[in-house]
Amino acid sequence: MACTGCALLCEDVEVQDGEVRHACRIGTAHILNRQQIDPMVDQKVVDIDDAIRHAAAMLADAERPMFLGFGNSITETQSSGVRLAEKICAGIDPCSVHTGLINEIVHSRVRTCTLPEVRDHADVIMFWGADPMNTHPRLLSGYAYYPRGKNRQHGWEEDRTAIAIDVRRSHTASICKSFHKIIPGRDTEFIDGLILALRNKVPKTVYDSKKVLKLAGTLKKAEFGVIFAGSEMLGSVPCDAIIRLMDELNEFSDFRILSLYHQYNLRSIAAATNTDTAVSCERPGGCDPTRLREADCLLCVGFDLANSLPQARDIDASIIVIDPNETLTSGYADVVIPCASGGVDLAGTAMRMDGAEIDLPCIMKNGQTDALTRMSDLNIMDRLLEAV
Amino acid sequence: MSEIRIDQFLAAPECEIMIVRYHDIFQTEAALKHGKFSKEYQDLSAVIMLDPADLKKIDASDGDPVKISNEYGTVVVAAKKSDGEDDTRASEGHSGVGYMPASVWSNILGSAPVSAKMSRSQQKISTIRELIRV
Ligand code: SF4
Repeated sequence: MACTGCALLCEDVEVQDGEVRHACRIGTAHILNRQQIDPMVDQKVVDIDDAIRHAAAMLADAERPMFLGFGNSITETQSSGVRLAEKICAGIDPCSVHTGLINEIVHSRVRTCTLPEVRDHADVIMFWGADPMNTHPRLLSGYAYYPRGKNRQHGWEEDRTAIAIDVRRSHTASICKSFHKIIPGRDTEFIDGLILALRNKVPKTVYDSKKVLKLAGTLKKAEFGVIFAGSEMLGSVPCDAIIRLMDELNEFSDFRILSLYHQYNLRSIAAATNTDTAVSCERPGGCDPTRLREADCLLCVGFDLANSLPQARDIDASIIVIDPNETLTSGYADVVIPCASGGVDLAGTAMRMDGAEIDLPCIMKNGQTDALTRMSDLNIMDRLLEAV
Repeated sequence: MSEIRIDQFLAAPECEIMIVRYHDIFQTEAALKHGKFSKEYQDLSAVIMLDPADLKKIDASDGDPVKISNEYGTVVVAAKKSDGEDDTRASEGHSGVGYMPASVWSNILGSAPVSAKMSRSQQKISTIRELIRV
């Protein structure tokens, strides 16, 4: 079974007698718990068919509809959502700072690799604005640091160098061999300094130039380097600065990059939508409120707008929420449609963060949960598609 | 007759703080287990980790409510002193920079890193319902 608790989609997870095996703390909580609420229209409980009918009518009447999220939906739901968006001329925005880098990766404008390749070959691993110990708890043990791999047989102490670059010394940084502290909002200056250091020039920078030169030396010696780019990096650094750094690193060694995001199927929806026409996502974990204000109907699918962007509370658009759990947005949405959770109560497929297609069999069996009776978001999307 | 304290009438000292967000596995777990409206989630989210020097600047102690505001919004959260030996978030000074878990309490202040003004507060910690007005 695969866990959809994060974009690692660990495939060795099992549920026996109500106990989850092999999953981390986040995966276990994700599989065993559901904060589900009833279907609602105008914050009053209704039948799910009524909720879907209302949502369909709102979407059909909307002049500038916008779909947000889909990163926590199976690929089949995403395809149906894209068809619905095409039918009613809606924009789709996955609402993540990662979509820009994912686009560069899927269009091969920057070198990437798979997670098994990280395990087998990586000798220098950088966690940039990323703290997988708190967000992707099995990344270090499964792929990025601790396991032995084909060309890394001597264990992490000898074979791998982990480096953290972050605004704070995170838990992940505390186990890395070196840590470079970023001044908040000044990541790009660090990148510029590092590029100069890679060219053997002493960088004139606000950062300790000796330390930057030492880091450049380590990176140049890498046989197979990997950068895990986290949300805190992508929220502050423009994509072109990352590409400049990657080009420079690849002048001297073999460097790859992977985007480290949370939503289990973000890569698939980011690749399926044209982000040039979507709302720009310059804000970490959220959307640009100015662009959102142009919409008159927002459909949030597995995405909690009010949590990511509390300022969106004042947006004068009608809101439809489709989500397996109660969200902050469902607290004031015009229509709320609860659904089954992909990979847990509902089978499907998803794309792992490195692009691998993963089958998601339904983890819960009959009798283990009442969730199997819940309608899937795919079914909801298909019914909306039919009705509009 | 109760004693009148002059400092009651003085504005609480204020300082500039740069807000940086972080992720906390226990907070994510609390959201999944108990929901985002739960006390468990609030206790792990409505906090700011502060350098002892910043706590001193605003005359606050560990656990005191602090008001943080900027052009995007205002929030009251619990101040936490970051000086514990086993706290990796605090193993070095970070005066002028406050660490908040990623949640609506930090997001209300806009896209981090973002600067804000901070002072000790007599108000209660903001609840999620107050922040999103439901
Ligand atoms: S690391 Fe992610 S995918 Fe793996 S068990 Fe934990 S939450 Fe699930």
